[in-house]
Amino acid sequence: MKRSNFKILVLSAFAGLALNTISCTQNLLEQTPTVDLPSSAFWNTEADATTALMGAYSAVRPLFDRDYYLDGQSEYVRARGTSTTSGNLRLGDAYNGGNYNPSGYGSSFDKMYMYLFGGVNRCNYVIENVKKMLPTAKATSVPGLELVIGEARLLRGMVYFRLISMWGDVPYFTKIAYADADVATLSRIPIAQIKDSIMADFSYAFDKLPVKASVSGRAAKPAALAFRGKLQLYWACWNKNGWPELDTFKPSAAAATDAYKAAAADFNAVINNYGLALFRNGDPGDWGTMGNADVLPNYFYLFMPAANADPELIMAFTHGGTGSNQGEELMRDFAGRSHEGSQCWVSPRYEIADRYQSTITGDFAAPLIPTNPTVAGARTKLNSAVNPASYANRDYRMKSSIMWDYEMSLGMVSLASTGMCPFIYKSWAATVVINGVSYITYNTDGTNSGYVFRKFLRNYAGQGRSDGNYSWPVMRLADVYLMYAEATNEINGPQADAIALVNKIRHRGNLPALASSKTGDKASFFSAIEQERIVELLAEGQRGFDLRRWRAIERVWCPPYGVGVWRIDTNGANQSQYFLNTSELAYQQCYIFRIPPGERNRNPNLTQNKPWM
Amino acid sequence: MKKNRVFIRLLMVLIPWLLAGLSVVAQNTVYTGKVTEQDGSSIPGVSVVVKGQTLGTITDMNGKFSIPVPAGSKVLIFSFIGLKSQEITLGSNTTLNVVMASETVDVEEVVVVGFGTQKKVNLTGAVAAVKIDEKLTNRALTNLSSGMSGLVPGLAVTQSSGMAGNDNATMIIRGLGTINSSSPLVVVDGMPDVDINRINMNDVESISVLKDAASSAVYGSRAANGVILITTKSGKGSGKTAINFSSSYALELPTKAYDFMADYPRALTLEQRAASVNTLRSNYIYKDGTVDQWLALGMINPLQYPNTDWWNIIMRNGQVKNYNLSVSGSNDKSNFFISVGVMDQKGLQINNNNTRYNARFNYDYKVKSNVNVGAKFAGNWSKYTYYYAQGFTDPASTNTAGYDMQYAIAGITPYDPVSGNYGGVMAYSEDPQAYNPYTNYINNLNYQNRQEANASIYGDWTPIKGLTARVDYALNYYNQFAWSAPTPNQAFNFQTNAFGSRVYVGANAGVSNSTNTGYKTQLNGSLNYHTTIAKHHDLNAMLVYSEEYWYDRYESASRNDRLYPSLHEIDAALTTIQSTAGNSSTEGLRSYIGRLNYTAYDKYLFEANFRYDGSSKFLPGHQFGFFPSAALGWRFTQEDFLKKYTEGWLSSGKMRVSYGSLGNNSGVGRYEQQPTLGASAYMTGGTIVNGFISQKMTNQSLSWETTTVFNIGFDLGFFKNHLTTELDYYDRLTSGMNQPSSMSNLLTGAYTAPRVNIGNLRNRGTEINITWKDNIGKFNYMVNANASYNATRLESWTGYLDKGYVFLNMPYHFVYGYQDNGIAKTWADVYKATPQGASPGDLLLKDVNGDGKIDGNDMVAQSNVQRDRPTTNFGLTTSCSWKGFDLSLLLQGSAGRKDYWLNSFNTTNIPQTRYASSWVQWNNPWSVSNPTGIWPRLAGLGNNVAQTSFWLDDLSYLRVKNIQIGYNLPKKWLTKLTIDNLRIYASGENLATFTKFRGLDPECLGNASDMYPLNKSFSLGINLGF
Repeated sequence: MKRSNFKILVLSAFAGLALNTISCTQNLLEQTPTVDLPSSAFWNTEADATTALMGAYSAVRPLFDRDYYLDGQSEYVRARGTSTTSGNLRLGDAYNGGNYNPSGYGSSFDKMYMYLFGGVNRCNYVIENVKKMLPTAKATSVPGLELVIGEARLLRGMVYFRLISMWGDVPYFTKIAYADADVATLSRIPIAQIKDSIMADFSYAFDKLPVKASVSGRAAKPAALAFRGKLQLYWACWNKNGWPELDTFKPSAAAATDAYKAAAADFNAVINNYGLALFRNGDPGDWGTMGNADVLPNYFYLFMPAANADPELIMAFTHGGTGSNQGEELMRDFAGRSHEGSQCWVSPRYEIADRYQSTITGDFAAPLIPTNPTVAGARTKLNSAVNPASYANRDYRMKSSIMWDYEMSLGMVSLASTGMCPFIYKSWAATVVINGVSYITYNTDGTNSGYVFRKFLRNYAGQGRSDGNYSWPVMRLADVYLMYAEATNEINGPQADAIALVNKIRHRGNLPALASSKTGDKASFFSAIEQERIVELLAEGQRGFDLRRWRAIERVWCPPYGVGVWRIDTNGANQSQYFLNTSELAYQQCYIFRIPPGERNRNPNLTQNKPWM
Repeated sequence: MKKNRVFIRLLMVLIPWLLAGLSVVAQNTVYTGKVTEQDGSSIPGVSVVVKGQTLGTITDMNGKFSIPVPAGSKVLIFSFIGLKSQEITLGSNTTLNVVMASETVDVEEVVVVGFGTQKKVNLTGAVAAVKIDEKLTNRALTNLSSGMSGLVPGLAVTQSSGMAGNDNATMIIRGLGTINSSSPLVVVDGMPDVDINRINMNDVESISVLKDAASSAVYGSRAANGVILITTKSGKGSGKTAINFSSSYALELPTKAYDFMADYPRALTLEQRAASVNTLRSNYIYKDGTVDQWLALGMINPLQYPNTDWWNIIMRNGQVKNYNLSVSGSNDKSNFFISVGVMDQKGLQINNNNTRYNARFNYDYKVKSNVNVGAKFAGNWSKYTYYYAQGFTDPASTNTAGYDMQYAIAGITPYDPVSGNYGGVMAYSEDPQAYNPYTNYINNLNYQNRQEANASIYGDWTPIKGLTARVDYALNYYNQFAWSAPTPNQAFNFQTNAFGSRVYVGANAGVSNSTNTGYKTQLNGSLNYHTTIAKHHDLNAMLVYSEEYWYDRYESASRNDRLYPSLHEIDAALTTIQSTAGNSSTEGLRSYIGRLNYTAYDKYLFEANFRYDGSSKFLPGHQFGFFPSAALGWRFTQEDFLKKYTEGWLSSGKMRVSYGSLGNNSGVGRYEQQPTLGASAYMTGGTIVNGFISQKMTNQSLSWETTTVFNIGFDLGFFKNHLTTELDYYDRLTSGMNQPSSMSNLLTGAYTAPRVNIGNLRNRGTEINITWKDNIGKFNYMVNANASYNATRLESWTGYLDKGYVFLNMPYHFVYGYQDNGIAKTWADVYKATPQGASPGDLLLKDVNGDGKIDGNDMVAQSNVQRDRPTTNFGLTTSCSWKGFDLSLLLQGSAGRKDYWLNSFNTTNIPQTRYASSWVQWNNPWSVSNPTGIWPRLAGLGNNVAQTSFWLDDLSYLRVKNIQIGYNLPKKWLTKLTIDNLRIYASGENLATFTKFRGLDPECLGNASDMYPLNKSFSLGINLGF
């Protein structure tokens, strides 16, 4: 027995030794992440505040940087689909699944709603955490921290502004949520109350932001002011024109007037207090020659990375090029296969061409005549839409924005140039000889109008279709000029300074100043402003919001139960008919978006907008 | 240093033994002779000892011995493991030829269970054992998982593709155990987490499938979905040295394939037919002229007007070659098994190849009578070449390139050897993005090389009788290198003699490399105590401490602009544009395991287990889970009071009952529970700046998912065990399944939802296994039938469940869809039906709720039909042998699954351009001129291709899985050639399938573009033993 006792002892020692010395690690159950930062390591230094703010910028960027799809909800741009990647916010998931047609879209923005609130959470996270740092911060570091809060509040204001302009009343919260219960039962807050909160965000930002940003990509005072002005302009419109679909909202003419005045004041400050000027001083530059793209007007370059740090881009979301994983996909969306295999999801409608005025008369030119190229003389007939000569002497922004038959752009594949590539509608990579030179034509089946975009399409090779580095503008000085003109016109009719500003914008199209008939009264001037907005802001996602705040859908298309409006192409073929025999309800569903029903199933306190009940 | 010293000591122990023979003592009369087996083959290593003395020797390589026997000694003892010992009384003849018989008498069947073995008669858990024999290894299989099909009741084996390198089967034990990973744990020689598909089947001795809680409990948190225990061969008990060689060659053909139209004018005509639904003839995308021109010129000018049969171009006959060589042997102190194997598969698609090399070395040595050591090493290497992850498509969300076969139109010339160009679109109005698959299968391949090494060592020590201490240490290492370096090429238009716009691979093609590497270690220390008290009470207790650790890392790099097309490593490209990625992760698991077995009077069996697991995936305080189980068995035929009734017909009978719980953490990510920030960079001033976002909400109290299993079973043997049956019933409840909770959409745009223990899933089922074995003279035969039935029910769900195919008290993913009323033949049919925008030729849907409209409320759930897996699986194995001939047959099938047959290749709403249509789309759709068409019209309503009963197919099937015929050459011929055995055989795989399913294969679970069929094969082979 003794012997076996000894053996057991030795055995135990052996076992114990084995377990203690060979064992992998004492901390076997405490494995730490290798590429994710533990939350506890953050918020220790003031630099962390800026890092967190960058996270908020990168999270809010994808809520705005594909607004061009939204122009599909207007008359002049067709978005036949999107290049968005489902499940990837940076690659456009907020826009994924959305309907970008002139009607029928109001129920397809559940994802946008979700991600906009995602942006709210991102901003709240920064604001609340930096606020906590303030009481113990050194006096010297307080301005820096307040700047961070200011920028985050500007971003939050922009996000809530987008929310109310689509859905009216929405839930509103400014705290970090730690669990579902923190927000699960929130009800919608009246739009007036949210508007005031957004105003407070913009005002705080205006107070704290610098006159000029220290580095491009971050906001400065003009951005806060311009957004505050825009919010008040929208508020004025809703009060003036009404928003019957939002049944909790009671419009008031007095509130409208006050808001127009306040908006005008803010815009005026942006225009005059910061020394801002239009890109390249608003000069038109050169048209170049018909067909060729070696020389292009200045307006074209405003939408190239060359303009990234230009003061005209009052608020813009930056992008990184090749290898940064922060590229924009403008080329992928706007160009065809002949340009790095791009997909042409977005193209100009035929109807935009006649909107470009004559540089000679300063007024609309004789309408183009859609003509099938197989018709004799189609390419040479006066005003034929497939005769390149019909596009001569027009607004320089036309040359910069769209391409018609025989307009060239630089083809590119595998990051290298393939030489000039003429666009000829429906020719799809055909061989064509122009002036003795053989070309392969622009290849896309993405357009059905006879036009493709030149705006946003790089005229140099070297970057892939998803590797664009253009800073997407959400607020441009030109837009501020036009909003200022609109606001002052609403208060007092056409004003000299406003007319001058509109003429500045027309100048970059090399258009003459507005004729006196266009500025004679409030209505005419409004039309002139609207005309400039259509041309100047094409494919920047503004038109759909304009139509809604002006309640102009019936005006620009047709009244309910109307005969509908065809969109056609340069060859004269009908493409799509919109608003045919459309009910009032369908119009109402354009004016206000649907609160996501899935969320209403979860949250009994969440009401629905009237047209969606 | 310390490790080195240990290693040197180990060598010092091992080397002398390996070199030394046994000493021979010389004295007096020398007896010589030879020891042989009954078949005449000599046995080396037999111990020959003089009885009552310490003198002894062993037989040499030829079985011969020579031993001096002192005067007075009368008896020699011949012994050898596995053979019956013999005592030979010595006479005057000094030459002794001894024939030894194998020790088969009453060897009780032993089954491998977790951390040990058990006598089959004493099992109380639900364990199915499969002996791996020639019938399995000689099949033309490329991996072990697909070979398990039809063998074990309760183990559902599903193979979804026949693609070389991607033809693994998924295995599920007893139904869907959880909506997280429901794969069983695979343990090879005590080491969990070995890839079953990289094992050489020829190395496997036996497989045990542990199905209930009692048998699996020692694997605790790893075993919620059952365990597959694989034991590899050793030389134990073989006595002499054996060399085995096998070789086989198989020809592979698809079981079924889509019949694409290699007729471009007809395909365009089909497009015209579709267009005619809503387009004026003058506005057709494809003009009559284009079609007519192609029709005429296609007959004389195949280069410019091709009618390509892509199936012929990119497919070939597949082949599988298998070669194996093994050597094994043993003596009373040690045994070894060494093998090498090659599996070389050429898939049905050109350039889809997979080759695997396996090597194994298993070795055990008895250091002292009470101390054993051993080592195992298994290595495998593979080379895999393919274009698409699934052969014809890639399910990855990043695959937007449109390279699926539906875009492979017939009007493209694959390749012109004269100009060296790959063809592209040529017809007027055809979408330039249509696709030439040939170029990708030539120029755009992916390569993946993987090496794995699994090594383990153990030592055990029995200091006192019955008590054994054992330490095991195992390391699994893997390294995988994947690369691609596509060759630039562009679509050529042979009509215009110019390159089209489609660039298949750009001129700036580069190199991409990625490396996955990692290891897993396991340390086990165990104590086992076995004793018999008062003769009738057998007691066995075991305690194990275990640590497991995982480490995985990934690194990838790519560069554009390769220097030269033949190069493929990163340095062979310019640095202008490059990208990199890399990360790693680790995980730890600490476990305490215990088991107690008690057997009384060989009748009453009791077993209790527990396992206490701690995982690094959970946060402190919630890391540990306790999973106990208990089982009872009663061998009632041992009872005297029953014997008188059962004797004569019931030879053995046992009842088993078990109940216990198991855990699962597979749904939880390694660092998912840890509060971390996400990186989200931004650009300022033209440069990247770092940003952090808070994107995680964690449920701090998340812990183990638990599965409790109740099992009752009967093992019965009738008629002297000629007929044996096993019956089982189980009730398995998985509670607290881990899922991300549902959250308000005010948060989901920013945060991943915290994982919560959200729902309970119950599986109930029965299993039966019947075997009949007998012989009629020299004709031996065996029939085994097995079947299992399983029903899955989702019992609770704390989250929000919307309308869909997941709901309470229903199977998970049940059939949920519209009912159809057939195809409208006339306008009268349309008017009679509920208004739904139909025209003649459209499918009419039933207005189930009668509200006058067709909407989501008209969808009907079939509460007993699941879409993802069958409820019933069955297999039938028969084999017989007569003299040297043997024949075996395996039938396998399943029932109880229905799914919608809707994919990219049978749609009636064909895309307007770039579509590769098939003959069924030409023949089947209804039209005015084809009023008996069995499919809805072309380009009709969207509902025509919706999930309706029209497309719902019963996926039941019966498959002739394998037929094998073999012949063993007579020994008398072979001995002259010093060959032990020689078998030649022919085998056929997947020879016929009987099913009502209209699609490719009722077994597959593919996506809408996956069209890789299963293979049928015919093989010839040879097994040779020395």
